[in-house]
Amino acid sequence: MKIAGSAVVHADPARTWAAITDPTVLATVIPGCEVLTPIEDNRFALTVALGVASIKGSYSGEVSFADLVEPSSLTMRANGSGSPGTIDTTVRVTLTVQPEGTTRVDYDADAVVGGMVGGVGQRVLAGVAKKTAGLFFAAVDDVLIGARPVAPTQALAEAAQVAVGGGPAALPAPAAVSVLAARRGGLSLIGAAAFGAISMLIGVLVGARISRKAR
Amino acid sequence: MVTRYVGQPIRRTEDLRLVTGAGRYTDDIGGGDHALEAAFVRSPHAHARIADIDVTDALDVEGVVAIYTYEDLEGAAARPLPVLIPHPALHAARTAYPLANGVVHHVGEPIAMVVAENRYLAEDAVARIRVDYEILAPVVGIDAARAAQHAVHDDVPDNIAAHLVQQVGSVGPAMAAAPHVLEFDLTIERSCSMPLEGRGVHARWDVDDQSLRVYSSTQAATSVRAAIAAKLGLSLTKVEVIAPDVGGGFGVKIMHPWPEEIVVPMAAIRLGRPVKWTEDRREHFVSSAHERGQQHHVTVGFDDTGKILALDVTFWHDNGAYTPYGIICPIVTSTQLLGPYKPGAYRVEFCSVYTTTVIVTPYRGAGRPQGVFAMERTMDRIADALGMDRTTVRAVNMIQPDEFPFDQGLIFQDGRPLIYDSGNYPAQLAMIKDMIGWDGFEAQRAEAAEHGRLLGIGIGCYVEGTGPGPYEGAHVQVMTDGRVEVAIGLTSQGQGHQTVFAQIVADELGVPFDSVHITTGDTRRFGYAVGTFASRAAVMSGSAVALAARAVKAKALRVASDALECSADDLELISGVVSVKGNPTACIPLGQVAVLSNPLRYAFDEAAQAATQFARPADPNVPPVAEDDEPGLEGREYYSPPRSTFASGMHAAIVEIDPDTSEISIEKYCVVHDCGTLINPMIVRGQVHGGVAQGIGGALYETLAYDEHGQLLNASFMDFLMPYATEMPDRIEIGHQETPSPLNPLGIKGAGEAGVIPVSAVIASAVEDAVGFRIDAMPISPNILFGLRVEFAAGRVEPTAVGRARSDHADRKGMA
Repeated sequence: MKIAGSAVVHADPARTWAAITDPTVLATVIPGCEVLTPIEDNRFALTVALGVASIKGSYSGEVSFADLVEPSSLTMRANGSGSPGTIDTTVRVTLTVQPEGTTRVDYDADAVVGGMVGGVGQRVLAGVAKKTAGLFFAAVDDVLIGARPVAPTQALAEAAQVAVGGGPAALPAPAAVSVLAARRGGLSLIGAAAFGAISMLIGVLVGARISRKAR
Repeated sequence: MVTRYVGQPIRRTEDLRLVTGAGRYTDDIGGGDHALEAAFVRSPHAHARIADIDVTDALDVEGVVAIYTYEDLEGAAARPLPVLIPHPALHAARTAYPLANGVVHHVGEPIAMVVAENRYLAEDAVARIRVDYEILAPVVGIDAARAAQHAVHDDVPDNIAAHLVQQVGSVGPAMAAAPHVLEFDLTIERSCSMPLEGRGVHARWDVDDQSLRVYSSTQAATSVRAAIAAKLGLSLTKVEVIAPDVGGGFGVKIMHPWPEEIVVPMAAIRLGRPVKWTEDRREHFVSSAHERGQQHHVTVGFDDTGKILALDVTFWHDNGAYTPYGIICPIVTSTQLLGPYKPGAYRVEFCSVYTTTVIVTPYRGAGRPQGVFAMERTMDRIADALGMDRTTVRAVNMIQPDEFPFDQGLIFQDGRPLIYDSGNYPAQLAMIKDMIGWDGFEAQRAEAAEHGRLLGIGIGCYVEGTGPGPYEGAHVQVMTDGRVEVAIGLTSQGQGHQTVFAQIVADELGVPFDSVHITTGDTRRFGYAVGTFASRAAVMSGSAVALAARAVKAKALRVASDALECSADDLELISGVVSVKGNPTACIPLGQVAVLSNPLRYAFDEAAQAATQFARPADPNVPPVAEDDEPGLEGREYYSPPRSTFASGMHAAIVEIDPDTSEISIEKYCVVHDCGTLINPMIVRGQVHGGVAQGIGGALYETLAYDEHGQLLNASFMDFLMPYATEMPDRIEIGHQETPSPLNPLGIKGAGEAGVIPVSAVIASAVEDAVGFRIDAMPISPNILFGLRVEFAAGRVEPTAVGRARSDHADRKGMA
């Protein structure tokens, strides 16, 4: 299944790259995220609780990334499984500078969806993917313009530690962290991987929570 | 005293269960399995290209599990549905995809399937799916199809799916030489089966077994099974189809596979949960099937005695948007038009044309009502032209009792020669005339006229080819407790199969009626069958169960003769007991014979001990099961006739027209019919009553009103008028004639459609007789008749010769 799309965020590519490669930001904008754990360089473990109303489940996956060209493009590979089904996806992400200090983020994904979720019909999968990618980018945009506070490391686990966080609907205690202070280096790679994979994972497994947020 | 069950009006076995709410229809299946339910996005346009399908908003409906469109179909399922009955004359067959592939050709065509936790949620989701259409030109009605200003299918520019000419003799010279020639047009409008229970599918995928079980409200379980296996890429051995209790079919459920019969099982496999779909009434109107719509042009040449010398019929058949069932209906019209007559030369030509409307597949009668209408109106016209009695003209043209078998020289809908096997039409004519009071009617009409009442009498005759092949089979098995389990391959929709086939088995085998249990329409129990249609079940399955029961009886006597140490010829099987003739104390119950027929090592109960190796002395040199034998007391036999067997009948009616409102009421209705040997006279009477009711509906009330945009205006019972008990005559008098069929062991002919076939012709004949002008189109509703009578009173409609003669004698009543 091929899904492609784009979104516009109100920041230049450098700031955008920084935001989407910051796991603190990602933990905030990804619904259902329970665990975000670095495994090794460029590899990251993720657990989200998602699903269409009747196919709920916990989905555990791994993302890895390659072809990093900061702040322009990267390739994500994600795979994982849960009771709703299985996924294997490769996403090509490019950032392009736009006039008036905005950035266009293009994503091009190729996904193989299996199990029961794989049987729900292509238009459901594609529709959900696009819808939630849109929600994801809207949330990222909110962070970039300062409209959405970012929680400190609540859902981010260092090394072997696993933080089982609360539900995604509940934002943690209000300590806003400026996106511009986001860490760079290794975490940025982790974040970058997480960003692409997560948008695909979300695209596959729509949550009731996502649905409610959409209203 | 040996009880004979065949021929007795035995109470139906299935009735107590059905009328006390213990029936299990497709929607009742799987009570505890929390099946998902499907609903469909169906085209609201008669002809359109699909530009986009946006399901985004439907995803917000909690409880939606899946949404499928054409892109989700794989392999054979992504190809068009099959052409069930191909024919060389069907040169431009077209069928639908299970879900629309970019174009829709009628209102109601399925585009997307939503599967959700329940039907309510599924429909909510359906309502939120947005489809972008590019509207294309609709083609509605035979005239528009023929004019071909627009094409229904791009690659069929003239809208003609099929063109077939059949002829016997040379019509051209015969017509030219005929002393009298008449030419006229006749029209019959669309109607439909409208069973009380609509279509339904319940599919369950067994993940452990990798097998599919589908319940469907169908008339053709074995063929649905084959179609599902083919479309979903499954082995036949991994698919079972069961037709449970079915609340009426009347023909529409012979059509298969419906799109829903493919995509609902597909969803069950993909989602790993049972999925079901039960159509609602509107869906039945716009996505099942219709029938009857035809326009005929008749030219008939005859002599002074009323004998037809040449008959030339050209007609146009509206087959709707697709031709999955082929051209069976117009072929039936072409061949059954001949009725009980032998015209000198006959030529029939038809074109089957596409319109952007619901598909057309057989409805009880399947083209015969139209053919009979054409021939019977022709007979009335000849009588009118010559000033002869309408029954005299018919008698002059009838095949005589000593002319059987009579070869009409055509090929019938089963691909076999149209050869009438037996019948006695003159005797039927005498009977019907006597029952209706034909000869004394003029006096009755005159007396009524004096009181201001408008009466008319009509008659209609038909011959019906029943019991077409290729075959049916039956399995009869005697269980060790004496019960007889019988399975037949075809299906039941209310014909009383569980009763009539038990009657035959009880007689043939020699067991009590109550010990026989019949299973129908279950591929797990019987795998080779054709289906229930064309009045064939009694003929085909009746013959098969008789043959199978006879085989079981022969084996029972053979096994018993071994145990009783005598010859099988000395034994008889009566009421479930095998005994020596003349010595009833030397006997074995049939259940015990069943035990003995299966040599056992292990006795599973006390009765079975008698069959184990130490129970009886055995010849050490003879194997327990002989080379040409099998264990068990069962028989499996098939009946396959060389061709159809021909039932026949005549109806007559006296109608009264209200002089002010033109309301048509049926004062008296008589039926004479010949279906050979009657298995259960009560059930046959019921079949006739039901058929007459549907015939009256078709004659007076039922039509499917499409507007020029291809919208079905009366897709509900508010506006599609079916007869109530109040519209039926108080009594339907039935006279029987039995000319047994020489083609099957019991002499049976079909009776399922007899009641409906000639009714439009009879009512038209009677109304025309009452009002004195031509009735050429059916249905004839009171408001249509009112309009015609206004035109007639104003002199804009020609009277019949009889009408003119009558009005010369009496004052014509003016219309307000």
